[in-house]
Amino acid sequence: MTAEDRTIQRDRMRFIKNSLSSNLAILGILFDVFYFVSIYKSDVDTYYYNYIIGVSIVYNLVFMLAVFLSSEGVKNYKKNYSYLLAVIGVVQIARIFIIPMQAHGTTTIVNGESVVVMQDGQFMRVVVYLAVSAACLVASAVVNFIRCGELEAHLKTLAGQGA
Amino acid sequence: MATLNLQHIDKIYDNNVQAVFDFNLDVKDGELIVLVGPSGCGKSTTLRMVAGLEDISNGKLLLDGKDITATPAKDRDMAMVFQSYALYGHMTIYENMAFSLTLRKENPNVIHKKVLAAAEILGLTSQLNKKPAQLSGGQRQRVAMGRSIVRNPKVFLFDEPLSNLDAKLRGATRREILLLHKRLQATMLYITHDQTEALTLADRIVCMSMGHVQQVGTPLELYDSPANVFVASFIGLPPMNFYDVRVSGGKLVGEGFQVSLTDEEKHTLRAYNNKEITLGVRPENIVEGADVPVTVSSNENLGMNTLVHGHVGASKSIKISAKLKGWRDYKVGDTTSFTFNRKHFFDKETTNAIRGGEG
Repeated sequence: MTAEDRTIQRDRMRFIKNSLSSNLAILGILFDVFYFVSIYKSDVDTYYYNYIIGVSIVYNLVFMLAVFLSSEGVKNYKKNYSYLLAVIGVVQIARIFIIPMQAHGTTTIVNGESVVVMQDGQFMRVVVYLAVSAACLVASAVVNFIRCGELEAHLKTLAGQGA
Repeated sequence: MATLNLQHIDKIYDNNVQAVFDFNLDVKDGELIVLVGPSGCGKSTTLRMVAGLEDISNGKLLLDGKDITATPAKDRDMAMVFQSYALYGHMTIYENMAFSLTLRKENPNVIHKKVLAAAEILGLTSQLNKKPAQLSGGQRQRVAMGRSIVRNPKVFLFDEPLSNLDAKLRGATRREILLLHKRLQATMLYITHDQTEALTLADRIVCMSMGHVQQVGTPLELYDSPANVFVASFIGLPPMNFYDVRVSGGKLVGEGFQVSLTDEEKHTLRAYNNKEITLGVRPENIVEGADVPVTVSSNENLGMNTLVHGHVGASKSIKISAKLKGWRDYKVGDTTSFTFNRKHFFDKETTNAIRGGEG
């Protein structure tokens, strides 16, 4: 890529939205949905009926709202949303160690029989969902951060040229 | 750019209604041709056939000498600007202008250069991040033109692009189109029913009526030497006055008036002595004089000119409109006399113009 191509590519950012970051953030929501659907539909008797699942439900709602708003923010090259997305991405990793880790391999008594709450297969799935969701959010944040920097520098150059 | 040849083109719809009859036209490279005529005369149908949006029933269409009669619209390398702008409301102006090139999977950097260049030409650079709803009608029409420019087509087709604009904006956008044509030197086909647009924009005008071409010529030719009564009545504002007159010696005798003929006019009408013809006189070719007695029915002062409407002599049915220079203060019912400076003669049966070389 020539220097001119690179300049044009930067100049295009003045008019083209940051779809890559925005779409990555939406993808992060999608994998989070896969995660909580997998958890909620697999309730074994009343194992999950405690305050942690309540917090989880509220967090999922807040998560979806925050990431959706961030996806709109990064679409318009708003740098601050990068920080928010990066933090939410790290929290997604942390979530692996809360419900999935606790439920994995734990047994509960249902109709007098001992039942494993979360089998290995489901555990692997939810870990992948959360990890992919986190990766998407962090990638979205990084891409937006880099592009915002490039755009700022380009706009400064244009201002310097009196454009 | 390109040449365009329309050869013996007909349009016959499935219900056997014929909209266009034997249309012939050679458009030169870089020429701006305006098709003008009243609603339903076939001008839009002709343009749609050129664009490939309507099938051509008979005849041939050549672009740069190559037969494109059966070529699909997308492969004709023509861009059309519609009356309704046809912009995507959810896209920004930049995205609207880039859309056709994006569909063709052109290099995004090339698209960017073309869009910026077109925006610069049309003065839209500061509007590129806006949505169509945030722009005025004139700006939206410029965006529609910009979308055509970025494609760099061989031929631009305009289908009444100014009809949705108010009078002031229409005038400004018309001038922009004219400048655009001069700048791009592009071959353009432009449809309008507004004769002012036709006269101001065209290199040549094609005047149509009922699917037939009535006359092809420069704006001056159509204004000064109309081929028939239709063209004479359509071109010019206020429209031409027409009178049934008899050629009698060196005079034209009409109901309630008679006017003398010049030697040249006598020569032109030598084959029509003692015959009825149609006399045409443009309002701007009428001056105050002694030939035609007129009873004034209205007096409209326009500043530099005054439009005087009335009827000839005692007859209420024979009307006359005159565009007199300067300010006049005729009252309704006043009587005066006019003289015709320049006259047009038409055969009463064929309605064709009577020319000096005929007869």
